[in-house]
Amino acid sequence: MEIISRLLENYYYFVSMVLFIIGIHTMLTHSNLIKKVIGMNIMDTSIFLFFVSIGYRRGGMAPIIQPGVEAEMYVNPLPSALILTGIVVAVSVTAYALSLIVELYKQYGTCCANEIAQIRAREES
Amino acid sequence: MSLHLPVISIALLLLASFVMPLLRRGARAAALPFTLSVLGAVFTVSLYLIYLVESRGAFSYHVGGWPPPWGVELYIDHLAVYMMMVLSSICLVVMVYGARDLYHEIRAEVMSWYYTLYLLLLASMIGIALTNDLFTLFVFLEISTISACGIISIKKDRECIEASFKYLILSVLGSGCVLLGVAMIYMITGYLNYDFVAQELPQAIAEYPYNILMALSLFIVGFSVKSALFPLHIWLPDAHSSAPSPSSAVLSGLVIKIYAAAILRLLFRVFPAELFEVVPVLDILLFLSVLAVMAGSIFAMVQEDIKRMLAYSSIAQIGFVFMGIGLFGNRALLGGLVHIFNHALMKSMLFLAAGLIIYAAGIRNIRDLRGIGVRMPLTMGAFAIGAFSMVGIPGTNGFISKWHLALGALDLGRPFFVAIILLSSLLNGIYYLPIVINAFFGVKIEPRSEHRDVPGMMLVPVLILAAGVIFFGFYPGPILALLEQAIVL
Repeated sequence: MEIISRLLENYYYFVSMVLFIIGIHTMLTHSNLIKKVIGMNIMDTSIFLFFVSIGYRRGGMAPIIQPGVEAEMYVNPLPSALILTGIVVAVSVTAYALSLIVELYKQYGTCCANEIAQIRAREES
Repeated sequence: MSLHLPVISIALLLLASFVMPLLRRGARAAALPFTLSVLGAVFTVSLYLIYLVESRGAFSYHVGGWPPPWGVELYIDHLAVYMMMVLSSICLVVMVYGARDLYHEIRAEVMSWYYTLYLLLLASMIGIALTNDLFTLFVFLEISTISACGIISIKKDRECIEASFKYLILSVLGSGCVLLGVAMIYMITGYLNYDFVAQELPQAIAEYPYNILMALSLFIVGFSVKSALFPLHIWLPDAHSSAPSPSSAVLSGLVIKIYAAAILRLLFRVFPAELFEVVPVLDILLFLSVLAVMAGSIFAMVQEDIKRMLAYSSIAQIGFVFMGIGLFGNRALLGGLVHIFNHALMKSMLFLAAGLIIYAAGIRNIRDLRGIGVRMPLTMGAFAIGAFSMVGIPGTNGFISKWHLALGALDLGRPFFVAIILLSSLLNGIYYLPIVINAFFGVKIEPRSEHRDVPGMMLVPVLILAAGVIFFGFYPGPILALLEQAIVL
């Protein structure tokens, strides 16, 4: 019971882990290359969600110091700042992966990893 | 001023890589001399940094003047300068070769982009070697991922595109795991700097053991994917064999090893030593490394394509580096680390020699190599030296690292690993030596008409690397002395 109550309390960690596994599963098992890229993005996003939620404090304020206003607690801004970098990296990796897919489609006429493997096997034999 | 050199060398490489595409039109001829002079400058800096670290000891550098834990810190110790020297020296020599070879593999318009990617790759690898900060490590990991895939897919060939896509997907999986591990660590310690994390972790173990275990396993998985440790190696053979030869040389010689050096730093500088008594991480690494050494050699035996065979052989050789880490003894670690340099020398040389054979004779199949030694004596001579070094014949540098690994295993009372090292040498002999013997003494099947002369600019780097293999086989002293200080456990 204790585990369940702790899970409910920190449900955002749980959700991001579920998303992480969905992402990895999509990335590794689907043969459609576009779906692989989508899985990659789901995985990256889950990590970003996890990282950002680390910095969240219940009842915390945005970390802006204003004269006269005293907050007891601020939300940690560092994870959000780091994840901004992470998002930029994920975007560029996605762009690169998609450009590779475009090129693969031009060469093989398909986006399916299995069909590409079949075409290559046929060429070799 | 001299303390700024580490960050200046990274900045110089990044700056040069951004300038390269601008040189496209009129000043295209300047691109190559510019690249080579930047690489030469970085190599000189790395030698000077070795001198600096030897004389003054390790030092840390605060980027932008912000002290840690707020700012990014670079930590320049013996291991970091060693890695920097290995990276910049091999990159320089390979680029001299690539200047000529690349023109027949990739289109002339994208040559300056190749220089961009190449310099970015070197910058990110030096960054990984020097950084003392978990998030900077992740950023450099991603830069190295994209640029390493880029120097494969720049050859617009269907195999290259497919191989680099596979590499990209698995590499991103690896860096995703690393980022999640960083998140786990940050969650419980509140720091990203290695030293501060290392201070906090011993207390955090009692409170949050699962987070630390999770982080440790994510780091191990992430870096194993990237450095192609055995069961996670599936991307490597395609990527390394289809790439242009200079890319293969750098990817096989350097890129997979920088991740091994990064995990080594994390394991020994960040995670507390008592963790390894509870969790058998090092034994898992050892087990995987033994599998890698065996499986890599066995797969290499059945290959017909020469570059594919060399790629599988890399899987076996990265096993030795991890064996040094897993044995966790001073001497074994010395063997594993010196193997990083030795393998970088010989594997990049073998890939370049294979590239020369492909360039001059258009032969990729091992069976067609019969009698090629008569036509290309210098190239095949260098190849033979590399093959002997792979087997570990005394007088070559491959012997030095295997010798120290074996002695280290004996020091720890684990003779099983000596047997594995010997067995792998025999296996290496089985697939390397027939190539050499057939090349020199085999009967030539048919003379191919498309024979091209080997340009001197391509042959000289191969010979320099071959000379290095022999030189460091006889005088390993300076390298070993540097590394002995790097691994004061």
